[in-house]
Amino acid sequence: MKYSLFILLIICFSASYAQDKNIQDSLKTKELGEVVVTATRTEKMLSAVPMPVLVISQQQIRAMGSLRLNEVLQEQTGLAIQTNHGNGIQMQGMNPDYTLILIDGEPLIGRTAGTLELSRLAVGNIKQIEIVKGPSSSLYGSEALAGVVNIITENSKITKGTLSSRYGTNNTLDMSGSFNFRKNKFGAYLFANRYSTGGYALVPQTFGQTVAPFYNYTLQGKFNYDFSEKLKLTFSSRYFIENQENKFDAGTPESPIFVAGNGQAKDINLNPILHYRISNRWKTQLRVYNSIYETNSQVNYLKTNEIYDKTFFRQTFLRPEIQTEYFLSEKHIFTFGVGKIWESVEATRYEGTKRFSTNYAFFQYEVLPIKKLNLIFGGRFDNHSSYGSQLSPKLSAQYEITPKIALRASTGVGFKAPDFRQLYLNFNNAIAGYSVFGTEELPNALAQLQTQNQLAEILLSPTEIGNLKAESSIAYNLGLKLRPSEKLTINLNFFRNDISNLIETQVFARKTNGQNVFSYRNLNQVFTQGGEIDLSYKIHQNFTFFAGYQFLQAKDKKVVEQIENGELFRRDPQTLAVSRVTQKEYGGLFGRSRNMLNVKLFYENQKHGIAANLRGIYRGKYGLGDRNGNLVLDEASEYVAGYFTWNLSVSKELWNKKIRLQSGIDNLFDQKDPQNIPNLAGRLIWTSINFQISKN
Amino acid sequence: MNNNHFSFKIIGVFTLLFAFSSCSKTESVEPAKPLEAKTVSNLTADLVTIDPATGRASGGTNRFTLFSFATNAVVANTDSASNKWDVGFRGTTIIVNGGAIRTGQGGAFIFTGLFDELKEVPTTATFAQDASPTSLAIPSASGMGWYNYNPMANAITPIAGRILVIRTGDGKFAKMEILNYYKDSPAVITQASLSRHYTFRYMYQADGSKKLQ
Repeated sequence: MKYSLFILLIICFSASYAQDKNIQDSLKTKELGEVVVTATRTEKMLSAVPMPVLVISQQQIRAMGSLRLNEVLQEQTGLAIQTNHGNGIQMQGMNPDYTLILIDGEPLIGRTAGTLELSRLAVGNIKQIEIVKGPSSSLYGSEALAGVVNIITENSKITKGTLSSRYGTNNTLDMSGSFNFRKNKFGAYLFANRYSTGGYALVPQTFGQTVAPFYNYTLQGKFNYDFSEKLKLTFSSRYFIENQENKFDAGTPESPIFVAGNGQAKDINLNPILHYRISNRWKTQLRVYNSIYETNSQVNYLKTNEIYDKTFFRQTFLRPEIQTEYFLSEKHIFTFGVGKIWESVEATRYEGTKRFSTNYAFFQYEVLPIKKLNLIFGGRFDNHSSYGSQLSPKLSAQYEITPKIALRASTGVGFKAPDFRQLYLNFNNAIAGYSVFGTEELPNALAQLQTQNQLAEILLSPTEIGNLKAESSIAYNLGLKLRPSEKLTINLNFFRNDISNLIETQVFARKTNGQNVFSYRNLNQVFTQGGEIDLSYKIHQNFTFFAGYQFLQAKDKKVVEQIENGELFRRDPQTLAVSRVTQKEYGGLFGRSRNMLNVKLFYENQKHGIAANLRGIYRGKYGLGDRNGNLVLDEASEYVAGYFTWNLSVSKELWNKKIRLQSGIDNLFDQKDPQNIPNLAGRLIWTSINFQISKN
Repeated sequence: MNNNHFSFKIIGVFTLLFAFSSCSKTESVEPAKPLEAKTVSNLTADLVTIDPATGRASGGTNRFTLFSFATNAVVANTDSASNKWDVGFRGTTIIVNGGAIRTGQGGAFIFTGLFDELKEVPTTATFAQDASPTSLAIPSASGMGWYNYNPMANAITPIAGRILVIRTGDGKFAKMEILNYYKDSPAVITQASLSRHYTFRYMYQADGSKKLQ
């Protein structure tokens, strides 16, 4: 913390120092020309999008030296890594389950307990990352409740190639190669990456590491062929495979049971797209997206080599979709789409193959009634084979008060469908003796346990709870875009999300062995609200300063009500004395930081090919877990202390920019908290080399 | 305070003070003997052996430990079909001696508040009874009765501020507060903590009235 304040001072000082020098601003800030696609599913200037959108450019990712998506996202304003069976992203204070992750507009599948592991995604071939905050279910359907992260990969425009390699702490080695080819009507883009790491052990005296060693490969190919100006075909493909060694102690320190084995994850995406421009006014796209996600793992007892646990999981996703844009005039643009999704899952913990399907249609109307006003109406209807249907409207507007100030506002409905796990899980933990069932399996499973005389008592009848409904939200975003000068951009956004029907785990029955039968039900209502500010300031032709801050409140409405009525208490675990919890003491949902901050200083000297940057990320204190038995965050000991991580990187280009050397230190001051933050590795030092090969 | 005194309240502060002083005078004639709160520690509730490696329980008898407030002692299971006992414990399940599946006149009402705040059985209190093994006066599900289950920590903790108002087997009243579910009430529940050891305090009104202080 001491270091952090010191560095913060230096950054601010150098910022003000550079500001004093009166230097002409030769470079136009790039935002003006940035084109984004995620917010409206049409190409649109970032400056004209009436929703909060954040764009991370390839240049920025390269300057940071990041390798995986989680590294990039955790440095962005208002985003935090939340760990639950993997590293996911928390957006506007919502769990990783509620953010849709797309590659070139297509959803990634394969979530574990709701979290999509972000380190599955290499960032070496990314053109840009677009992050839309607030619900986008009006365009994308389920999961786009908190927001959408869309990874836009490179396209083949010219023939060129790159090779790069990076090595660093923990034996982390990354090797990448890409090849771009363009000849007349044919274009191809190929990307290959191998990432391996020895992992790390934050508690060395225990058996097994905090993060076990693993390696993975990513192969990506994008091909396009232009039949004519009007008809174009694109074929995108991606293959990912990861292997991880696992070792852990399945017993207790007193009576250890050592187990070890291997886990593998595979991810395949295929997406042919046919673009057809019927006329200058009509544009149509037909896409058939296909994805498979698979995991296999086996862990054996070290002593006997007998199987301790063996699992597999296989999920498929197939979605044909047709999308049409119609330009009535420059002031009226219509977008329509229809599609169908077939999904299936087959796994160790499921009975047979489970399938469901969704039919959907969406539309969007963009209108500019007056020059300064841009309105977008949209909506989507999803009809799901097992839980019913969902309508998700959205309305957004942007008004340009002056060329320097734009006001934008949006409101919309987001939803997340119950997932396979919540509907169909059928899991009996043979070792510990408890059971978890999806709601569709529960009635039969209980009946079966009953006939086997395994059921001691039913605590909650499934018929009493009824069918599982989709989790849904109503969201409001209100913001300002300010450009007081060419050098300074400020983005301000206030948000509020009211989420209802949250699906929670619930004990439904007790078995004769004393263990519980768990299932799921719609239970809670929560809200998240806050504000964020993003600032970018070009202090000098070589220096750019970025800063971002988010203030967040995320609370369970029932808890707030209980406190209001004086019905929520805590018991001191030492004295056993009971007292009432006050609103002020209630810290909201676990895992949310009230304050998050980032400051970044980028230096770039094009003439000498030198670049450097220093980035500080602050994550304010957040609740880790309950300690006094009331399941609510209300006591100082239940928090993890706030912390800064500082990352530094420098690079130099050689040989007419054909070679680039880069070196960096992530987590400069070796910030660690082994007990509470296992995903925070200590200081990581790395160095990399990159070659560019091009025709000219 | 009677109605005569109450009507004075609006007249003025002095009158009010007078009313209070006269009130306390009349009460001092028959001083209410405060009831004593008793604490019971480590009352076992069908102990089981838990395999440390698997967490699986074995060796239970499936019997309730029956307790009488009047005698402050455990009642033998042979007396289960009598009104000699008031509450019974087995695992996280607490039963009362009243209802379709019991012999006594018992019942339970869950009061939300502090132990000391509950000075009398509220007039609005409705006493539930043990209608069937799945429909108990004190619901045995997490969050709905007397305890919370935290699956992350695999811990059972009594919900603070839940006071069990018990009508005893012979129709008298008591209030009780569960303080801990583990042996010797550890401040932090770990894998090594032994469950099914109740620590609770209670206050029993022997005169049959609803006063609980």
